Amino acid sequence: MRNKLLCTLLLLSATCSLLTAQSPTDALMMPQHQICILGQYASGTWDEYWEGTNKRSNSNLGTFNATNTMLMANYGITDRLNVMAGLPYIRTKSDSYLKGQQGLQDLSAWLKYRPLALSAGPGEVRGFVTGGASVPVSRYVNDLLPLSIGLRCPTASLRAVFNYTFHFGLYATAQAGHTWRGRTTIDRDSYLYNYQLYYTDEVPVPNVFDASARIGFIKPRFQTEFWIERNACVTGDDIRYNDGPFPTNKMEATVAGWFGKVFVTNQWAFHASVSKVLAGRNAGLATTWAAGTTYFFTVGE
Amino acid sequence: MKKFHFSYLTLLCIATGVIFTRCSKTVDDPVYEPYPETSLDQTAGNWKTYVLTSGSQFSLPAPEAPTSSAYLAEVEDLKRVAATLTDEQKEAAQFWGGNGVLRWHEIAREFAAQYNVPPNYNADGTYPWPDPANPTVYPRFPFCNPPYASRAFALLSVAQYDALVAAWNLKFQHNRKSPAHYDNAVVQLIPENDLPSWPSEDAVVAAASREILKFLFPGEKALIDEKSAEHKNSRLWAGANVQSDLDAGDSLGRKVAERIIAYAKTDRMGQANNQAGYQALKDAATGRGYTDLWVSQDIPARPPMLPYFGNVKPWNFTDSVKVAIRPAAPPRAGSPEFESALDELRDLAKNRTSEQWRIASFWADGVGSYTPPGHWNRTACELIYEKTLNEIRSARVLALMSTAVQDAGIVCWDTKYYYLLPRPTQVDRNVTTSTGIPNFPAYTSGHSTFSAAAAEVLGYLFPDHAAEMDALAKEASNSRIYGCIHYRFDCEVGLESGKKVGSYAVERGKNDGAE
Repeated sequence: MRNKLLCTLLLLSATCSLLTAQSPTDALMMPQHQICILGQYASGTWDEYWEGTNKRSNSNLGTFNATNTMLMANYGITDRLNVMAGLPYIRTKSDSYLKGQQGLQDLSAWLKYRPLALSAGPGEVRGFVTGGASVPVSRYVNDLLPLSIGLRCPTASLRAVFNYTFHFGLYATAQAGHTWRGRTTIDRDSYLYNYQLYYTDEVPVPNVFDASARIGFIKPRFQTEFWIERNACVTGDDIRYNDGPFPTNKMEATVAGWFGKVFVTNQWAFHASVSKVLAGRNAGLATTWAAGTTYFFTVGE
Repeated sequence: MKKFHFSYLTLLCIATGVIFTRCSKTVDDPVYEPYPETSLDQTAGNWKTYVLTSGSQFSLPAPEAPTSSAYLAEVEDLKRVAATLTDEQKEAAQFWGGNGVLRWHEIAREFAAQYNVPPNYNADGTYPWPDPANPTVYPRFPFCNPPYASRAFALLSVAQYDALVAAWNLKFQHNRKSPAHYDNAVVQLIPENDLPSWPSEDAVVAAASREILKFLFPGEKALIDEKSAEHKNSRLWAGANVQSDLDAGDSLGRKVAERIIAYAKTDRMGQANNQAGYQALKDAATGRGYTDLWVSQDIPARPPMLPYFGNVKPWNFTDSVKVAIRPAAPPRAGSPEFESALDELRDLAKNRTSEQWRIASFWADGVGSYTPPGHWNRTACELIYEKTLNEIRSARVLALMSTAVQDAGIVCWDTKYYYLLPRPTQVDRNVTTSTGIPNFPAYTSGHSTFSAAAAEVLGYLFPDHAAEMDALAKEASNSRIYGCIHYRFDCEVGLESGKKVGSYAVERGKNDGAE
C-alpha cells in the first residue's frame, strides 16, 4: 500500500507531469475485512531538468516545487484480494511569473490479487497482480507544464509483483507494470507533436512502462527499504530546444530512494521516505521527501 | 498452497482490455478535399496587383496549339503516366488537387510554428542572433516571431496573387484548356472545369510560393523544393495539366516571385532589429515625459524584439498615414485610470475563471505556435474552403487580409516602441500570468491590432461571417487581459487601431477590379 505512495512520489520526482496515478507496487496485502486509511504529504523540488536528453537549468523558471497531499484507503475483500482508492491534492510553484497551479488531481482505484503464496526454503515467495484505473476529477489546466498538476487523461494499468521474504525479515521485491494513457484535450486547437503541426485540441499521451527493484527488512512493527525504479514513456517527442514541455513528451526517469515505517500502536503507523532522480529525459532532476501516517481498523466479523 | 480465483482475474483482464481500447492514440486532422472551380473570373488578369505594374508585366512565348504534334505527344505521356500511378501519386493528386494556394499556406504555418522559438541565453547572459547566412546553425534563422510571421504570410500571399493575376491574363489570351478537353481518353482524378489550363495556375503558385518561402526560411530549401516538385507532378498524376502547362507556369511564378523578393529587400525589414538604435527610442520616450520605461521580463534580460519593425514599409498606406493614425498616449503610470486597469488584472490573477483561462490559452498563439497572424491565416483558409473559392480569389482574400495584418503589426510596433509602456507584471510582481509575456512593450496589444485588422477585411470579403469575425477579434483581444499580460486600454485601443488599418485594405479590395 505505501509503495503506491512511493510511486506517486517518484512521479513527483520525475516532474509533476507524470502525476497520473500508478497502481501499488509492493508485496503487502490487507487481511480480509481490514481497512487502512493513509494520509501523506510529499514535496519534490528541482532546478535542473532534461530538455530532451540535454540537462539544463532555466533562469526564467528558477526552482520548481510540487507538493502532493494524498488520501488513500485500502480494504481487504478477502485475504487475497484488496481494493484501493486514492486522491491527491497537488500544488505547484516556481520563480517564474507564470501562476502556480493547485487542485485535486486524478481519482485512482486498484484491485490487487495475490495468486501465489508459497513456502520456499527459509522464507516465502509471493506473487501479485494489480490492475488499476484513474480519471481526472476536474478540468484542471494541463497545458502549462511544468506547472500543470497533471496531464488530465484517463489511465489504466496492469502490473505484476514478485517478492521473496526470509522468515527473519530480509526481503527482495521486483515489479514491472504498464500504464495505458488516453488522449487529453487542451484549450488551444493546434500544437506541434514530433515537429509536425496538428490542427486539433486532442492530444495523444504516451503509455508508460515501469519496473523497480526493492531490498528491505520487515518486522511486525517496522520496515525499512531501499529501492530503485525506472519508468519510461513508450512513445512521444522531446521538448524542443528552449521550448516548454507538453503532454506528448517522452518522459523517462531513473529514481532511487529510501523508505521507512514504524508502528507506534497496533493501529497507527508513521512513515517517511526520500528519493532522488538519477537520470532522466524530459523530466526534472528532482529530490523528493515525504511523510505520512496510516490508521488500520477492522470492519464486520 | 495456492488457489486461483479465476473469475476475479478474468474480470480484471476484461476491464483492462475495455479501458485499453478507449485509450486509443490516433488524433484526426481536418481533411480538405478537391472541389470544382466555382467561377472562371475571365477578367481577373486586369485586377490590381501589389508589386507588379500589372498582370501583363510579364509575358511568355505562346503555347503550342492543342492540335500540334508537340502537344499530342505530351498528352500521350500523360496517358502513359496515368496507366502506372502508385497509391502515393493518387493521394498527392487529391492532396494538391483542391486548392494549391491553401496548401502552401499550410506549409507556411507549419514553418512558422517550427521556427517560433526564441534563442536560449549564452552562459554570459547575452543572447545569440539568428544569422540568415547560416540558417541551420543554432539559433536557426529565422526566429519566426509575430512580426516576422505577419510579413511572411503577406509576402507569400502577394506573390501568389500577383503571379495568378499574371497567369489569368495569359490564360484568357491563349485559351488552351486542360488535356481532357481535347482527348476523351484522359481521365482527370480531380473535378474538371473550363478554366484554360495554360499556364498552369498550380505551377504558378508552386513556383511563386517556393521562391518566397526559400527566401523567408532559407534553412528549408530542400523540403520546399521537394514540395514544389510534388505539387507540379501531382497535376500530371491527376491528368489535369501537360508538362508545357507546368513549365510555363513555373517560369512565370518564378519571375513574379523575384520581383516580390526584390521589393522585400527594400521594405526596411533589414533594419527592424536595429539594437544600437534602441537607446534613441528610449531617449525619445523619456523626452516625452515617460519615466518608467518597459524592461524585458526575461531572465537574463533579452534585447527588445524588433524595435524598428514599426518602420517597415506598409502595404496599404504611406508612412505619413501610419504616423497620423498612431494611437494617442496611454494613461500614465500612477493615474487613476492606470491603477484601475491594473486592479482589474490583480483581481484576474487571483480569481481567473476556467472559461477565462480557456480563452487566454486558445488565443495565446505563443512560442511553438503559428503566431496570431497564423491563427487568422488559418481562419481565412477555412472560410475560403467553405466558400469553395477558386485559386485567384483565394489568393486575393489572403493578400488583402495578410497585407492588412502586416500593416497592423507595423502600426502596433511603431506604437509599442513610441510609448515603451511596461507590462503589468513589471509594475506589480503579484500579477501572475497564464501565458508567457512576449519580449516587447505593452501598449498597444498586438493580438488586438492583428485581429481587428483581419476581422475587418474578412468581414468585408465574407459578409455573412462579419459578426462572427468581430466576435472572434474581441475574444482574441480579451484573451490578453485574461492572461494578465495586457491592460484593458492596450486591448481596446488596439482593436480600434486594427479596425482602422483593416479599412485601408477593404478600400483597396473595393477597387481592385474583383467586385
